Amino acid sequence: MTTYLVRRLLQTIVVIFGVTILSFFALHLAGDPTYLYVSERATDEEVAETRAKLGFDKPLHEQYFSYVVGLATLDLGNSLRSRTPAFELVMERMPATLELTIFAILFATLLAIPIGILSATRRGTPLDGGIMLFAMFGQSMPSFWLGIMLILVVGLWLRWLPISGQVPIIQPLLDGDFQTAITNFPDAIRHLILPGITLGVFSLARNARLVRSSMLEVLNQDYVTTAKAKGLARHTVIMRHAFRNSLIPFVTIIGLEFGFLLSGVVVTETVFSWPGVGRLVFNAINQRDIPVVQAAVVMFSLLFVLLNLIVDVVYTRLDPRIRLS
Amino acid sequence: MSKLSRRGWVSLALLLVLLVSTACTAMPAAPAGDSGAAGEAAATEAASGEPQRLVVAQSVDVQGLEPSNVNSRAESNIFTHMYATLYEITESGAIEPYLAESYTLSEDGKEMTFKLREGLVCHDGEALTAEDVAYTFERAADDANAFTGNTAGFVLDALDYQGVRVDSDLEVTILMGRYSSPALGLISEAFIHCKDSYEAMSLEDAAANPIGSGPYRFVEWVKDDYVLLEKVPDYGLKDVAYDEIQWKVIPEASTRTAELIAGNVDVITNVPPDQHAAIDGSGEASVNGVAGTRRMYVGFNQRDIYDDTEGGRAIKDPAVRVALQYAVDVPTICQTLLSFDCERASSMVNKPNDNANLEPYPYDPVKAGELLDAAGYPLKDDGTRFDITFMAGRGRYLNDVAVVQAIAQYLTDAGVNVDLQIMDWGSEFVPALRLHEVGPLYFVGTGGSTWSAVYDMSDLSAPDAATNYTEWNNQEWFDLWAQLGEVRDAAAEKEITDKMLEVMYNDPPWLFLYFQPDFYGVASDVDWQPRRDEIIDLTTASPK
Amino acid sequence: MIEQAKTTQSGALTATPADQGITRKQPSMWRSASASLVRARWPLLAVICLVTLVIVALFAPQIAPADPNRQHLIQRLQPPLSPNEQGESMYWLGSDGLGRDVLSRLIYGARVSLAVGVAAVAIGGLIGVFLGVVAGYAGGRTDDVIMRLADIQLAFPFILLAIMVLVVLGAGFLNLVIVLAIGQWVTYARIARGETIAQKRKDYIESARAIGVHGSRIVRRGILPNILAPLIVIASFNVAGVILSEAALSFLGLGVPPEVPTWGGMLAESRDQLLGGYWWLAVFPGVAIMITVLSLNILGDWMRDFLDPRLRGR
Repeated sequence: MTTYLVRRLLQTIVVIFGVTILSFFALHLAGDPTYLYVSERATDEEVAETRAKLGFDKPLHEQYFSYVVGLATLDLGNSLRSRTPAFELVMERMPATLELTIFAILFATLLAIPIGILSATRRGTPLDGGIMLFAMFGQSMPSFWLGIMLILVVGLWLRWLPISGQVPIIQPLLDGDFQTAITNFPDAIRHLILPGITLGVFSLARNARLVRSSMLEVLNQDYVTTAKAKGLARHTVIMRHAFRNSLIPFVTIIGLEFGFLLSGVVVTETVFSWPGVGRLVFNAINQRDIPVVQAAVVMFSLLFVLLNLIVDVVYTRLDPRIRLS
Repeated sequence: MSKLSRRGWVSLALLLVLLVSTACTAMPAAPAGDSGAAGEAAATEAASGEPQRLVVAQSVDVQGLEPSNVNSRAESNIFTHMYATLYEITESGAIEPYLAESYTLSEDGKEMTFKLREGLVCHDGEALTAEDVAYTFERAADDANAFTGNTAGFVLDALDYQGVRVDSDLEVTILMGRYSSPALGLISEAFIHCKDSYEAMSLEDAAANPIGSGPYRFVEWVKDDYVLLEKVPDYGLKDVAYDEIQWKVIPEASTRTAELIAGNVDVITNVPPDQHAAIDGSGEASVNGVAGTRRMYVGFNQRDIYDDTEGGRAIKDPAVRVALQYAVDVPTICQTLLSFDCERASSMVNKPNDNANLEPYPYDPVKAGELLDAAGYPLKDDGTRFDITFMAGRGRYLNDVAVVQAIAQYLTDAGVNVDLQIMDWGSEFVPALRLHEVGPLYFVGTGGSTWSAVYDMSDLSAPDAATNYTEWNNQEWFDLWAQLGEVRDAAAEKEITDKMLEVMYNDPPWLFLYFQPDFYGVASDVDWQPRRDEIIDLTTASPK
Repeated sequence: MIEQAKTTQSGALTATPADQGITRKQPSMWRSASASLVRARWPLLAVICLVTLVIVALFAPQIAPADPNRQHLIQRLQPPLSPNEQGESMYWLGSDGLGRDVLSRLIYGARVSLAVGVAAVAIGGLIGVFLGVVAGYAGGRTDDVIMRLADIQLAFPFILLAIMVLVVLGAGFLNLVIVLAIGQWVTYARIARGETIAQKRKDYIESARAIGVHGSRIVRRGILPNILAPLIVIASFNVAGVILSEAALSFLGLGVPPEVPTWGGMLAESRDQLLGGYWWLAVFPGVAIMITVLSLNILGDWMRDFLDPRLRGR
């Protein structure tokens, strides 16, 4: 187990290293971003001066080397635009993004389970057909469009939920302010619902179909048939045998799901003016604020890789047939 | 199944219950009509004793709160409320005393001395005197600080700033390398701050803790969410109606409009023309449009780098550039794509400082065709006259993507075979624009003023000026430009600028379009008129 | 997808044969297919829809009533069934913000949207299968390197990579296809690798290797035919995914140029007009995307059931 973990952590370092190389050279390919950091009327000397100040006058490999040295010492440099540490800028917004992503994962997984089971146990009925059709709709709507429609219908016309913005929970918790976190909670959830649905609906649809089909598969297994034949109550069979086993493949996708949802936050945060990392990094890419992009990419990748490591470890506990090698 | 998994299921089930129950309790808890965050909307409802709050939604956040590093309009809007200036430019374009009560200009026009009012203070209570004004300019000019904002990157350069001198407690002199007629207006763009408070802070601290001199002071900045300001009690120089101003960031236009109609924000910027009807019809708010000062045009880049293209050669001929003016129906573009009845621009200068004798070119496709025939570009067998590339950035100006597509269509109709290239604004278009490598046709809008023709014309101060993107080199224009430096009185200056604009009209470096209108959505319980110069001045706003 | 999920970090978790036995168990496909009406009728309808779309895309110039890029500013935002200015024809599905015919843009849009989807999946598939087969067949160090590459790709949030590449290289048809293909290859590589390893252990391949049959021939004859079925299934789902990704990138301003009609681009363009009540600008391209994605999903489901039941639940 220990050797396994060590090996995986070493792999993680290789992966993060690869990610930094990829993003570093992708951003530098287009050439010199200096022009985005001087006034419209700056002279050539001023441009050259700024270029030197930003360090873009050095050869690329030198720039990368100093970046990697910085990364090793956890100094990801200052944002070119706001001149504050890039790592801080990313971490300040991380709680908001995590709130949104966690909510969307919960929405996409917890709701998928009952829906999938319902659909599987009522296979072939109009209810099953309806659920599956709905799931397919969920998988065919671009998220920005769904988001705007939710804002117009639920936020503006029905006035059920807030249109945009965020009320923090994780940030007060990190600050040790439990009182605020608790009082914020109901309002925070209300603000999370629309963006959470927008971000998570594709996954919900996919997961519901996944639960349904793995449930169907398990229901056809010999031991379930045997259990039924023994005369066990229908819901006992479903809950005790089928349900549990059908969830094993499902657990494994949570890690990948997280990566998928992190990709979706750029659009969702823009539509709902959610103050998270997605918007930060999108703006940073447009402004070629390379340190901020790097910091965000490294943080996202690290989160993804570590989460998947955890999932793999937990998964082996769930299913003894899987061995770590 | 191990025990762990069973426990796992129990906790998953608990989470589900929690989720469903909070969702259920949350929904009915929302009173109809108030879907805002924690009673924000209620605050504007003016319950007695509650602070009166005005909520404004812009599309981008500030990058920092350093007064010498103001880079965008959205930032400048917030800073003009936190920081006072020596003089200020009013809505009508007049330049009036603010922190200073008067100024004098030296004989040679290179020294401008300001007399400050007595008893001024910064937000931390420090007295604001001549020394602080001097500090403001010196700090902005200090290379060690590496500021790139408007003051450091534009104002000081435009003034040819040489230094600053403290004459007495209340008198301070700005030293310039040459006389320039817009100097007073330019100096009115510098945000004055106090020496002791800023010297005590590192650059990083200063960028997070602005200590200003204006009618509102800083309370809180939640990044990518909002900046909150509150009224300075007993601020003598301005009388403001609202106790607090909250500047929210809402990037998506539809979301801004929805929040305005829902009553959660009071003022929104950059309303897309096709949403006007929805806002006006809501009964909750209305659209306030104003003819802006930003000059939108299609540039004719005349550099030699385009000599090997048909279009690059064609537009070197002034006759072609004049002919194309007739090919584009600017008023129709305004009406349909901008929801605005505009008058076409006849030059690069805003009213009322323009040459009133110049008639804007009318839309006359037949004449355009005749002029192009005469210039030696008849229709070929394939129905085109010449090929040309037309470059534009995306998402920077009002409805820009639609506008450039419409212009391309009009030019195509005139027989010009346009290859339209729409690029990312910040990362593709601007860098190329700065190198004067967009063209031969390109679409740009350049900020103008209500108070000075020379300010508007300073884009083309020299054939190789950074902002002369077309590298237009009309000898007559630049001879007259040199003469401008000699005159001191307004009438003589006006005579020269009028003559210059006539030169420009007949040898146009630009295809003149329109002055960009600005659209604001304003809640019906707020009384506020927008200004022409893109500055959002909420000190004039009041509850209805 | 089960296989993919299990090997988040390649080869880190190896499914035991017992586990594979479970997922390979085949329920009676024919029965389940015919038992459910929902299942039986929809695939046919899906095929009809897709064939129609392909025909429309191929013959767009003959079918479209107008030039998709011809503007009539005066006649902008006309609702469906409005006469157009010449009175010869109609705006059957209305006109857009520049007075262009929505129906014609939709028809030409089918071309671009389907082309982007198919091209991205084809390129991603080719790269993925190649790398996957090489990794699986060669094993050892080669396998390690390729799978680490896959990990890097997976750990890099796709949208950030896409934005970065499109901002840097500039938006355009080719760059868009490349980016979307990059986002795909890992899926195919993993399937191809897994299958290759499984096939490699089989007796007939082992004996072929033993008697010195050339590697490329083994791959071509012995391995590729066996992995084709699962790949086609995954590809049909991914075309749908790519069409949605194209829409999201258009929303961020990184799609194809705005004068080129695509469904995603039309939808993204319409977002400022939704509030104004110009519903036809959003509804028609939205419906076109939904029909396509739905058809591909239904078809994919059906193919999976018949071709490769192990992929259930994707």
